[in-house]
Amino acid sequence: MITAEHLRKTFPGKGKDKTPVVAVDDVGFEARDGEITGLLGPNGAGKTTTLRMLYSLMAPESGRIMVDGRDVAADPVAARRALGVLPDARGVYKRLTARENIQYFGELHGLPRAIIDTRIGKLAAALQMEDFLDRQTEGFSQGQRTKTAIARALVHDPRNVILDEPTNGLDVMTTRGLRGFLKDLRAEGRCVIFSSHIMQEVAALCDRIVVIAHGRVAAQGTPDELRAQAGHDNLEDAFVTLIGSDEGLHA
Amino acid sequence: MKALWTVCMKELRELSRDRRTLMLALVMGPLVVPALLLGMLTLAQSRTKSQIDKPLQIAIVGADRAPELVKWLAAEGIERKQLASDPDAAIRSQDEDAYVRIGDDFGKDWQAGNPALVEIVHDSTRQDSAIPVKRIENALQRYGQQVGALRLLARGINPAVAAPLSVAHKDLSTPEARRGMVMAFLPYLLILSAFVGGAYLIIDTTAGERERQSLEPLLATPASRGAIVSGKIVAASLVGLATLLLTLLALKVGAQFVPGIGKMMDVRMLAIAKMLLILLPMLFIGTALLTFIAAGAKSVKEAQSYMSMLMLLPIVPTVMLMVSPIRTQLWQYTVPFLAQNQMLMKVIRSEPVEALEWAVYFGAGFGVAALLWFAATRRYRQERLAIST
Repeated sequence: MITAEHLRKTFPGKGKDKTPVVAVDDVGFEARDGEITGLLGPNGAGKTTTLRMLYSLMAPESGRIMVDGRDVAADPVAARRALGVLPDARGVYKRLTARENIQYFGELHGLPRAIIDTRIGKLAAALQMEDFLDRQTEGFSQGQRTKTAIARALVHDPRNVILDEPTNGLDVMTTRGLRGFLKDLRAEGRCVIFSSHIMQEVAALCDRIVVIAHGRVAAQGTPDELRAQAGHDNLEDAFVTLIGSDEGLHA
Repeated sequence: MKALWTVCMKELRELSRDRRTLMLALVMGPLVVPALLLGMLTLAQSRTKSQIDKPLQIAIVGADRAPELVKWLAAEGIERKQLASDPDAAIRSQDEDAYVRIGDDFGKDWQAGNPALVEIVHDSTRQDSAIPVKRIENALQRYGQQVGALRLLARGINPAVAAPLSVAHKDLSTPEARRGMVMAFLPYLLILSAFVGGAYLIIDTTAGERERQSLEPLLATPASRGAIVSGKIVAASLVGLATLLLTLLALKVGAQFVPGIGKMMDVRMLAIAKMLLILLPMLFIGTALLTFIAAGAKSVKEAQSYMSMLMLLPIVPTVMLMVSPIRTQLWQYTVPFLAQNQMLMKVIRSEPVEALEWAVYFGAGFGVAALLWFAATRRYRQERLAIST
C-alpha cells in the first residue's frame, strides 16, 4: 500500500525566466493492495515527477509518502526494497543478456542466487520472454526491452509495483499481454500504480483513477465515481470535463 | 560492500564482452608507450652515432686550390665528394647538409701568410646540418691552429704565446643528452597512462549509463549510491592497474632489445614493482577525478570533451622541470603529478627513496584520491543526476 500526502515539487527555472517551475502541487492519493491505481494525465502534467517521489529518487519539498505504513523519507532503503519500479528511463545493458540484466538487479537487492533464478523463471514465463532470455539485449525490440526492464524491476518480488507509462511504444499484442500481467499482479494482492496518458488503457485496467493536470489532482475515484462527479456517462467526456481541456489525452 | 562488488563485477563483465575496447585498453595502450619511448631512443641514438662516428662526405668547391687541406680533412674522416649539380641548390633542396668552399684567392693568401678564406655553406634552420657543420668547423680550426703553430715555430716563437686560453669544447648533442631528453618523457608517459588508464570504462559507466537511460532504474534499487559509484571506481582502477602492469612489463621486455638501455634506466623487477607502486595513487586520483567529472556530464560526448584538458595536466611538471630544473624537496612529494614525476625519476635512475619520502608520497597521494572519491560519491547523491533527459 502506498499513500501520498500533499506532495509538492518545484524545479529551478531555466533560461532568462528564473521563476521556479511548479511540477507537482499538493498531490495526494492512496493506492491499495490488490488494486490497480492509474495516474492519468496529459503529457507534462507531473505524473513522472510524482512517481519519482514515490520511489524516493526525488525528495518532495513538502508532504509525506508512506509505503506499507512506513515513511519513505525516514528509511528510503526499506521503501525501495518494498517497491518494484519501472521508471520512465528503461535502458538495459546492451552487452548483457536479458537474464544477466535481471540477475544484476537481483544481486543489488541482496538476493541469493537460487532465489533469483527461480524468480527469473517465473517472471520469464509470465512475461513470455523465454525465447530471448539468454540473448544479449543489443538489438532487442522495444517490447523485449520493456519486458526485460519489468522483469528486473520485479525480481525481488515486491509488494508494491510502480510503472511509469509501461505501454509506451509497445504494439497492440504486447500491450494486451502486459495488461494481463498487471491483472495477475493485482490478483496476487499487490499494490500496482501505473501512469498513462491513454484514457482507454486506464479505463480498461484501473480500479481507481487519479486524474492529474497541471501538477494537481483534478479528481480521483473509481471510474463510476468519476463519471458521476463529471456528470457524463461517457468516460472520455468525463475526463475532458475534469481536466478542463482535451489536450494530450489521446494516444 | 556486497553491492560494490556486484557493480564492479558487472562492469568488468560488460567490458569483457566489448572485445575492441578491451584490446585497445590491454594491448594497444601497453604497447604504445614502450614502443614510442624505445623507438625514440633508438632513433636518437643511431642518428647521433651515425653523424658523429661515420665518415662525413661533403662537396668541396675549389679543392684544387688547397690540396693539403683536403688531404688533412680526409684524414679527419671528412671525405671529398663530387657533386653533379650546383652545391647551393643541393643545400636548398636538402640533398646535402653542408659543403666547403675554398676561397678563390686561397693559394695567394696562403703563400702570403694572410688569412685564407674557407667557407662552410649550410642552412642553419636545419637541425640535421648542426652536427656535420660542427665537425667541419672543428676540423678546420684544428688545421688552422696546427699550421699557425708551425708558422710560429718557423719564426722561432713558442706557439703557446699565441694561445693564451685553452678552451675545451663540450658538444651538447652527445648521445647522453639526447637520451636524457627522451628519458624525461618516460615519467610523463607512465603518469599519463596511469591517470587516464581507466578513463574509457569510467566515462562509459557513468556518463554513458546516464545517456543510455539505465541509471535511473539502477538508483531505484536499495544499493547505496556510495556503493554503486565505488564499484565503478574499483572496476576502472582494476582495468587501469592491468594496463599499467602490462605497460611496465612491455617496457621491461622492450628494454632487452635496445642495447645499452640498462645503463640509462633501471628495469629490474624490483624497479618495475616500485614504479607500479608509485603509479597506484595516480591511478586512483585519475579514476576518482574522472568519475567526479563524468558523473556530472549528461553524455559521453560531454565527458570526453574534458579529457583533452585532463591529458595536459600530467605534462605540466614534466615541462616545468625540463625548463627550470629544481632541487628535489620534500614538499614536492605532496603535489600530484610532480610527486609522481620525482619518484619515478628516482627509481629510473636507481636512486634510493627515503622512508619519509615514501610516507609523505603515499599519504598525500591517497589523501587526494580519497577526497576526490568522496566528491564523486557526493555528486552521485545529487537528485538531478538520475534524470537523464
